[in-house]
Amino acid sequence: MHEMSVTQGVLNMALEHAQGRRITDIYLQVGRLSPVVPTSVELFFDYLSKGTLAEGARLHFEIAPIEMTCTECGRQADLSEWADLAPQLVMVKAFERGCACGSKRLKVTGGVAFGLVSLNVEDDPRDA
Amino acid sequence: MTLMVPVLRDITEANSLLADSLRNTFRRHSVLVLDIIASPGAGKTTLLERTVAALGSELRLRVIEGDPTTSLDAERIVAAGAPAVQINTGAGCHLEAAMIQAALDQMDITGADVVIIENVGNLMCPTGWDLGEDCKVVVASLPEGDDKPLKYPMAFAAAQAAVINKVDLEPYIPARAARLRHNALAINPDLAVFEVSCLTGQGLAAWFDWIRAQLERKRAARQA
Repeated sequence: MHEMSVTQGVLNMALEHAQGRRITDIYLQVGRLSPVVPTSVELFFDYLSKGTLAEGARLHFEIAPIEMTCTECGRQADLSEWADLAPQLVMVKAFERGCACGSKRLKVTGGVAFGLVSLNVEDDPRDA
Repeated sequence: MTLMVPVLRDITEANSLLADSLRNTFRRHSVLVLDIIASPGAGKTTLLERTVAALGSELRLRVIEGDPTTSLDAERIVAAGAPAVQINTGAGCHLEAAMIQAALDQMDITGADVVIIENVGNLMCPTGWDLGEDCKVVVASLPEGDDKPLKYPMAFAAAQAAVINKVDLEPYIPARAARLRHNALAINPDLAVFEVSCLTGQGLAAWFDWIRAQLERKRAARQA
């Protein structure tokens, strides 16, 4: 269970970039293979953001697909037919099938990250 | 009126930056660093006890033990003959670079050859945090089932070596070492796979040779 510290990381980063302005929305990108569960992040965010400029901010999660690349020919595997499967199963199936070039050497090259994409902040015209 | 502020930063970037700095420290000391990942009870600590006992006279080993609580594992390593530091993660399910940094404040690695980090027993979360290690090693014990690589592919994809432990139990259980090996290699064809029993010592010589070879490789790369 590590979503609490990860969520604290989101909050700290968001507050740093908001530079004292109230945050209304936080846009996050979560790779399908990232070790982060969005619903837990939401839960902890409500709790951790209380009393900060991010209290009440809406979290938006964009789910980033898994990317696997052949280490021999550099081709990216087409995983679209398994989009509905659990991420671990997609990996297993991709490894089983291998690359179109015949190689079985695939590397996970995307879908593992958890990133803060952007924020919406209230821009107080009095500051302008 | 709202304003969009672009950020584009990874939430775990602080960990990655610290892991890079640890990697530099380890390189400066010419020390090989292994991160051992496994489920609870797979035999990580017993593998380390065996490794310390076998290699302790030829290599200077240091061990960092990660556990939710107690210093039982570090005590076992010290009893086996290597300096060890215990990290207690509490509710934490994996080690992070900052914890390794803190462990290094308590343990001098000057002159050491190999630092082995025993991660918290968990096959999922530890794969997501870089500790500055050279290699991840996954330990899977046969009684856990030979389908472990299919359920936890990330651990096997991220590792350079897999140690299949407790193979001496094969006659008594349905799981098969050959199937576990096959499943592990299906995920990662470049894995070095060792079938061992930390109880009987079977197969451990190849694992010790692998550690020697990794150390040699790291030192050769440093001199190049």
